[in-house]
Amino acid sequence: MSRAKQSVRPKLAQEGFFGRLVFFSARAVANLRQNIFVSLVTVGTISLSLLIAALFLLVYVNLEGMAEGWSDKVQVTAYFNEEPSPLAVAALKGRVKAIPGTTKVVFVSQVEAEKRLRGRLKGQESLLEGITADVLPASLEISLDRGHRESASVASYVTALKQIQGITEVQYGEEWVKRFNSFMNLFRLMGTLLGGFLAIAVLFIVSNTIKLTIYARKDELELLGLVGATRFFIKAPFLIEGVLQGALGAVISLVALLLCYFTFLKNAANFLGVNPAAAGLSFLPVPHLAAILCGGVLLGFIGSLTSLKRFIHV
Amino acid sequence: MIQLHNVCLSYQAESPALSDVNLKIPKGDFVFLTGPSGAGKSTLLKLLYADLSPTRGHVLIDGVNLSRLPRSQIPYLRRSIGVVFQDYKLLPNRTVLENVAITLEVLGWGKRDIGKKVFHILKQMGLEDKINATPLRLSGGEQQRVALARALVNDPKILIADEPTGNLDDENKEQILSIFKDANIRGTTVVVATHDKRVIVNSHRRVIRLEKGKLLEVTDVQS
Repeated sequence: MSRAKQSVRPKLAQEGFFGRLVFFSARAVANLRQNIFVSLVTVGTISLSLLIAALFLLVYVNLEGMAEGWSDKVQVTAYFNEEPSPLAVAALKGRVKAIPGTTKVVFVSQVEAEKRLRGRLKGQESLLEGITADVLPASLEISLDRGHRESASVASYVTALKQIQGITEVQYGEEWVKRFNSFMNLFRLMGTLLGGFLAIAVLFIVSNTIKLTIYARKDELELLGLVGATRFFIKAPFLIEGVLQGALGAVISLVALLLCYFTFLKNAANFLGVNPAAAGLSFLPVPHLAAILCGGVLLGFIGSLTSLKRFIHV
Repeated sequence: MIQLHNVCLSYQAESPALSDVNLKIPKGDFVFLTGPSGAGKSTLLKLLYADLSPTRGHVLIDGVNLSRLPRSQIPYLRRSIGVVFQDYKLLPNRTVLENVAITLEVLGWGKRDIGKKVFHILKQMGLEDKINATPLRLSGGEQQRVALARALVNDPKILIADEPTGNLDDENKEQILSIFKDANIRGTTVVVATHDKRVIVNSHRRVIRLEKGKLLEVTDVQS
């Protein structure tokens, strides 16, 4: 119908991409105002759904942070048969630090080891009668970075450590490391599964809410098609509406999440007997907040797009 | 020029809504489409603005075969056709001005031009004082005139109306018919589906009669 197109289609009052964007955005805002109740229902649903997802994320991130903190206990201790001289200690420390994954090396002399033992057995000093510092071996206490705390990494680290002359025995709580890693794997798997189900539920709820709100306006969609609107002309304001609703819903959910977080911090000490500051609780990091915001925008956009397909027959 | 060649249309599992319809409506003509309920009047009108496609045969508008018209081009066809729907299809949450303005917004008119043109046509329809009212606050006759204003505001080449006088009193019927006549005088081809014999007799126009989907007779009644 190129003839009809040429003869009937006039020039747009606001030409170009920005002209159209301004027109469609103004139409979207007017639509939101004219359908204020359904718009509020959609924004409310998106806010609540994202708040639930964000709360889950907040709990998950903090639990993971706490669990990661426990992995600081993954420490390797290298024992010496004979206490090395101060000069040799410096050389040994240098060689240990050269092994990839080392973050901290502390030398514990025989005297220091005895002191620690006495400290631990305070009140039961009689058990230590006759024990001198010579009995306890000198050692190097080595901390590993987070990337080297997996069972396999620790094992290969230990192998490298054993190559260093003078080190006769290495201990690193092999069982604990294995159990801890299994726990972390299970924790992450559960988190991913629950997060996945939650994401699907959020997608389902939001897309159906948007579908219902668009269904409520199917007469408008039909009429636009009948008076000669193109698919793009019909869709664009609805998609912008979806994006605005999604963004607003995400912002509201983040504000609500912040309120929940501070309310919890304020009252945690009272009802949980936990000092939140000491427990190292933190709010969601910026990338997570950005992801929730983008998620809201995407939910609004995709929800509108999929729902519109059903109701536009042009 | 509107042309229908051997047009048949069947809805699923039903007897044909239209069968073997041949028809020519020249440019600038004013015709009535009549027949009892279920005769196929609305179906025939829907074929003209490509809301339905014929099962068989061809519909041509100004030489363009609608069966071969790509879907993306249908909006541009509809911009040259004004339609007054049987149920008006007015948006209840928009004002009279906004309802009429939709046609021009679709065409990409600027806000100021839309305001001027819409006010002008609503004044012609005697609705200038209802410009900010919503359709639910209007009488049946007023709603019909708003629908008519929306169909005519972009000066379409063809005006199609489906039972436009259905629920109106005599005074409103006269008013609506005189608007159709005015549009026709300005060069618009007018096709009105109605089963109101009084409207047809008083208008002295060409009448196309449909019954059970078949074109029965075409009578030329000139004033």
